[in-house]
Amino acid sequence: MNKIISFPHLGNYSVPISFLLRELTKYEVRESPPITKKTLEIGSKYAPDTVCVPFKYNLGNFIETLDNGSDILIQAGGGCRYGYYSEVQEKILRDLGYNFEFINLIDSDKMKIREVYRTFKKMNKHLNFFKFSYYMLLTIQMIRYMDKLDEIIRHRIGFSLNIKDFTNNKSKMLDEFSKVNSFYSLTRKYFKYKKIFKNIKIIKPNNCIKIGIIGELYTAMEPFSSYFLEMELAKNNIEIKRFTNLTYLLFQKRRQTKKMLGKIKDYCTYTLGADGMDNVYRCKYLIDNKYDGIIHTKPFGCTPEVGAIPIIEKICSDNCMPIIFFSFDSQTSEVGIKTRLEAFYDMLNVKKG
Amino acid sequence: MEYFLGVDIGSISTKGVIIDSNLNIIANSYLWTKGNPVDSIKRLLNDLKKQVSDDIKIVGVGTTGSARKLIGAMLKASVVKNEITAHAVGTSTLYPDVRTILEIGGQDSKIILLKDGIVTDYNMNTLCAAGTGSFLSSQAKRLDVLVEDFGKIALTSKNPAKIAARCTVFAESDLVHKAQMGYKKEDIIAGLCYSVCNNYLSNVAKGKKIEEPIIFQGGVSKNIGVQKAFKDIIGKDIIVDKFGHLMGAYGVSILALKSKERREFTFSVTDDDFETKGITCNKCGNNCEIVLVKQNNKLIDAWGNRCENGQVKI
Amino acid sequence: MDKITIGIPRALLYYKYKDLWINFFEKLGCNVIVSPCSTKETLENGKKYLNDEACLSIKIYMGHVDYLKDKCDYVLVPRYVSLVKHEKLCTNFSCLYDLVRNKIDVPIINYNIDIDKKEDEFYAFTGMGLALGFKYAKVVKAYKDAKKDEKISSDKRLLKQKSILGSSKNIKILVAGHPYNMYDNLIGKPIIEFLKKNNIEVIYADIYDKKYLKSEVERITKRNYWTFNKELIGSISHHKKRMDGIILLTVFPCGPDSLSNEMIIRNVLDVPIIQLVIDELDSEAGIITRLESFIDILNERRQVHE
Repeated sequence: MNKIISFPHLGNYSVPISFLLRELTKYEVRESPPITKKTLEIGSKYAPDTVCVPFKYNLGNFIETLDNGSDILIQAGGGCRYGYYSEVQEKILRDLGYNFEFINLIDSDKMKIREVYRTFKKMNKHLNFFKFSYYMLLTIQMIRYMDKLDEIIRHRIGFSLNIKDFTNNKSKMLDEFSKVNSFYSLTRKYFKYKKIFKNIKIIKPNNCIKIGIIGELYTAMEPFSSYFLEMELAKNNIEIKRFTNLTYLLFQKRRQTKKMLGKIKDYCTYTLGADGMDNVYRCKYLIDNKYDGIIHTKPFGCTPEVGAIPIIEKICSDNCMPIIFFSFDSQTSEVGIKTRLEAFYDMLNVKKG
Repeated sequence: MEYFLGVDIGSISTKGVIIDSNLNIIANSYLWTKGNPVDSIKRLLNDLKKQVSDDIKIVGVGTTGSARKLIGAMLKASVVKNEITAHAVGTSTLYPDVRTILEIGGQDSKIILLKDGIVTDYNMNTLCAAGTGSFLSSQAKRLDVLVEDFGKIALTSKNPAKIAARCTVFAESDLVHKAQMGYKKEDIIAGLCYSVCNNYLSNVAKGKKIEEPIIFQGGVSKNIGVQKAFKDIIGKDIIVDKFGHLMGAYGVSILALKSKERREFTFSVTDDDFETKGITCNKCGNNCEIVLVKQNNKLIDAWGNRCENGQVKI
Repeated sequence: MDKITIGIPRALLYYKYKDLWINFFEKLGCNVIVSPCSTKETLENGKKYLNDEACLSIKIYMGHVDYLKDKCDYVLVPRYVSLVKHEKLCTNFSCLYDLVRNKIDVPIINYNIDIDKKEDEFYAFTGMGLALGFKYAKVVKAYKDAKKDEKISSDKRLLKQKSILGSSKNIKILVAGHPYNMYDNLIGKPIIEFLKKNNIEVIYADIYDKKYLKSEVERITKRNYWTFNKELIGSISHHKKRMDGIILLTVFPCGPDSLSNEMIIRNVLDVPIIQLVIDELDSEAGIITRLESFIDILNERRQVHE
């Protein structure tokens, strides 16, 4: 019987992750059931009480996918608390009585390609380094293209005549991306959709409201966890700039650290842990580029962001930049978020005149 | 002359005003929501109707407050706005140079900072009931005094008790404790007023610069004990307008005036039969609660679904 | 030249490095003042500089810095990223310096320790000494002497605890928390005092021979990378056979502890454990009730064993 492999959700990135696993392992890849309120409820039930909310989502994903017949679970690492999620989650799932294999893809926050290769080789004896590298690079390229197209969408979707012009095409794009088999076909799809997204008819005033989204990575990349914040903004004719995506985290972050620190010398001498300093820099960027407002999102109690917030508040108040903070956990009231958000763009609208 | 109706419907109270196109309030009403927004809105409209002549023409309706969407659907409002914007607009119309609005309502509290009539910053507390109107009423019940007398009694205290009020649960246990220690009733009541202010300042107003002129509004602003506590703690003068509780409704009526939409409104809506129904959509794990609003048995609006599975056709 | 006065906040890493810090600065010829023990006021003063969601320990820390702000020439605010290769500390230690610098108007003397970037303690301390205007040779000597003194006092503490472990017949409880929580006046002190009052022998998790570390830790966790948490886990693993019970002492909301303690609770099954999460709202009464019932359980277990 063929084994089934699965992993926790992270926005649309399940498409490239599925793609990679399909090509490199001989297992059947089955995505976790889509995140719903129930996912969070299940996750919260079994997770430690005071852990940050992405842990609860991930755990909920794992439980739902195990109940759905998966045998192998994959978890990746990352900075701050993310890196230690995997061991605790594995232990919780084992204590619950589940039987599964657990694979931790990245051990520390640095991705070591050879180790990842070894991990995949264990899953698939016939894998060779050439094939591994090829699909790895292809997946990375896919992620880059997705992030680039997302950027175009964020610029335009707020002004579409019908929001579905964008959302429907995006679903189609993801579907086609998942079926590519070479760099050539991937690149062709990319240009095809780039053209589509650029040609969707919009009515965008020159002085539209522009908002930058900063903060913690999971709430930035998993729309469910922020109550679909970006969609909410798009419905209100707002141009969105978001910094965090996988391209940034995997490839750009480390290279830019020095440059970023140089630009915010007055506020940061050092990095602040996880993406704390990055977010201070982003405020500076948004101020310099005349954005109208900033939205900061994080899970409740996110240590690195909580530590950076006083500095973020300072750089914003020094420059009269409106900023609003959202903290998400399993009990966040959606109505409260909507009200505060509405008041935020009312405020920006009036300011703009 | 054109007239406009503004309604602010919160969980505790329902407020309404009618204004003319010169922004004068020609009728106002304030009553308890009693957990039934549809019914309270009918009572409100009947009350307002009595105050105006039959021939005035209301051409725009605005709603705000936590049930703004429901009431907006009922009254076919042209403007449905959040409380923060509504309060800011209303207050800055009467007090163009206001810089700070402190607001403590039945179940939530907010602070709004303005400059030249424009909101520059705000904060809102929706999570915790500590230090809101409902907290004070429940404590009044516990101490066996009328909440309306709270302020008067508080002013008689010479030695307010220190009560921890960051959280309702703790405040309550602390209150019991202080009462058992033999504190006088007026000292405990005055202590509660101070703790409401301290709680507000260290949570909602944390990190915000409170500049004059300061206006204090919302249901709790009627409590002279809390008024005094705010003055003492902030050390600045605090204005309480007699229409303070109506600012949300006033603001949203102004927004209705400013919007371009004109749609005639008649009081006959009070004769209609409204029904709201919450149903749980079971098409996915979100189990969204979908609200259906029916007018004379005809579905007029529905919301609450997260995905298209739960979309209701109207 | 007037003597330089260095202010040291009695919070966070003070409880780990106090001997090193005080000796180092005194050997350089500086005055050292340490802020007094935490009070409710310290916490209130610290809170206003931080986000509400910040942990109790860092709120208290800011209160101590606030106290020192006009009482010294410099406040010592070091930055710690990692103490061991491929390991980390809580990100609060990374952001502390910039946080204080942005929020509190006070001159700071700072050093940076980041082993992964090859910035070690010697390098950091000599750099700091030079920045204060002292000669290199003097700084090196002060550091080395201070290091020796640090070793002597830690050996003394170890010996004392060992003798208690060997001799006492009382119920023994291992209090496992970060030193800055265990020894703080607002957090751990009331708990430890209560235990002592009830004839409990309190064993402090930070006092033990750290050479046991690696093998001990791996019995409970393989992938934990927070140095301070690993030290605690090593201590638990090392001590647990001789303990009647373990108290995991943490504050709300501590990031590393939230996961690390979960692993401890799930993996250490042979000794009774309770976790106490101290919150700024907590009333002492609630915690005492929990402690009392925990002690009752331990007493009963002893009786059954005997």
